[in-house]
Amino acid sequence: MTAISVRHLAKSYGDNVAVGDVTFEVERGEVFALLGPNGAGKTTTIEILEGFRNRTSGEVETLGVDPSDTKTQRWLRSRIGVVLQELAVEPFYSVRQVLSRNAGYYPSPRPVEEVIDLVGLTEKSDARVKTLSGGQQRRLDVGLGIVGNPELLFLDEPTTGLDPSGRRATWELIRKLATEGTTVLLTTHYMDEVEALADRVAVLSKANIVATGTPSSLGGRDSGMVTIRFGLPDGVEAGDLPVAAGTVVEGLVEIRTEDELPVLHALSGWALERGVRLPGLSVARVTLEDVYLRLTREDQ
Amino acid sequence: MSSVPTSSTPTIGGFEGLSDLKLVGRQVRYEQLSFWLNPIGAAFTIGFSLVFLVLLGASAGNSRIAYYGNIKLVQYYVPGFVAYGVMAACFNILAITVVNRREMGLLKRLRLSPLPTWALLTAIVLSSMIIAAIQVIVLLAVGRIGFGVHPPSDVGAFVVALLVGMVSFSALGLGMSTLVPNQDAAGPIVSIVFFVLLFLSGLWFPLKPGSGLAQFSSYFPVHHFISAVFAPFDIQKAASPWAWHDLLVVALWGVAGAIVTVRRWKWAPRRN
Repeated sequence: MTAISVRHLAKSYGDNVAVGDVTFEVERGEVFALLGPNGAGKTTTIEILEGFRNRTSGEVETLGVDPSDTKTQRWLRSRIGVVLQELAVEPFYSVRQVLSRNAGYYPSPRPVEEVIDLVGLTEKSDARVKTLSGGQQRRLDVGLGIVGNPELLFLDEPTTGLDPSGRRATWELIRKLATEGTTVLLTTHYMDEVEALADRVAVLSKANIVATGTPSSLGGRDSGMVTIRFGLPDGVEAGDLPVAAGTVVEGLVEIRTEDELPVLHALSGWALERGVRLPGLSVARVTLEDVYLRLTREDQ
Repeated sequence: MSSVPTSSTPTIGGFEGLSDLKLVGRQVRYEQLSFWLNPIGAAFTIGFSLVFLVLLGASAGNSRIAYYGNIKLVQYYVPGFVAYGVMAACFNILAITVVNRREMGLLKRLRLSPLPTWALLTAIVLSSMIIAAIQVIVLLAVGRIGFGVHPPSDVGAFVVALLVGMVSFSALGLGMSTLVPNQDAAGPIVSIVFFVLLFLSGLWFPLKPGSGLAQFSSYFPVHHFISAVFAPFDIQKAASPWAWHDLLVVALWGVAGAIVTVRRWKWAPRRN
């Protein structure tokens, strides 16, 4: 079943095109990432899907309804959760008070104590929001996004501003929600976040989608060039190697090939026979970051 | 552990009866909580009108107003500051609070929750009315005990005047909030508009009927509201406690505020 369906979505403000022509679908239970530079149209797209902004043209369905339709907006909002890019929590309430307040807006909320536990604020549950650190406020923000027990969760850069352990904890939470069947649409700048969380990813650049796929196959990552690197063993010249050496810089050999198995086979057989080591041997595909930078080059 | 709820048929997003009234009641409670959890703000709001009344009441002594049937000046000040208290809570504080929330992104966040717009705005207005009512009670008590001011001769007229003022000035406060561009400007802009109108509308001294200032202030709601609240306190024999004309002007301004609110309301911070 489809949770989100977007066909030829466009949004402009006068002459300024925020979203050009965007088409993608998100299945129920999927974690889908929108990746792209600032100003590429990620937030505008997500706000149209939430029903916060109206589109200029194209077709959009969120949980089977048009998010701009005022007749179904309340129904839709009771089934989605949203974590905005900008931190927004009332300063004077305690953590528990603000979560309890928002829980009351939803027909079948998640128990407040469970949410506090999930976002790791148990020790701070009676603390005033304004006394929390930035990272703690961000986690509370995530808590407000999930307190309504949403079928579909929008996360606009959910880990920006978190320290490494806070990021890992948020990742764990997103994985847990995904396991429970929650559909997640997230935007991010971080490649490792996409690789850790997303089932599929779409790259936005200059208001358009330039690639869609799984993180491991995006932009032909799974079939492209492979780079083999190792240090030249002592007493061995580049010419002694059983394969063409590619480049050798300060004793570091780098071989680029589309067919890595025969090369590795020849190398390892030769090294075992000679009784030498290949220090620091590594085999690397193009990184997601390489692909991303190539795809969004025009937008840099 | 809770599970993800399953979809049911989409429903219309309008009024859903009793459960929606409970929702408003609940939101009013949280609005009140938010107000009282900021004790400095709460004390300033409630205390301001009281301090004004006590200072002016004490300095007025036994002065009387010749053109208001020679009543004691303090008999004028109590309803004057009752009106002030209502306007401060429903116009001034409400407008500043709404701007702050909008610019902090809190309104946007609420917009994305299932809480209906009408329920949120109703709760905000009701909460301001509660704060105003508390001030009214405190001011009446201090006026009675401290200065021996007569209570309103017609309680019905007094309550109706207060309700019309509360609703109208809340609408104006919401309208005003849409005209303020950012959080830093909220306090200064709203307060300047508020205090200039107060000054010109005879809060600190009764306007002489027929004067140029009385003519000028007759175009604005503040003077009319003070007059409407004063009418039930007026102990002159011939005066009516019902100031229909004044209340009509106040209500028309309220309608104007509501129109501005509907046309200009924004959920997202204006800085974006």
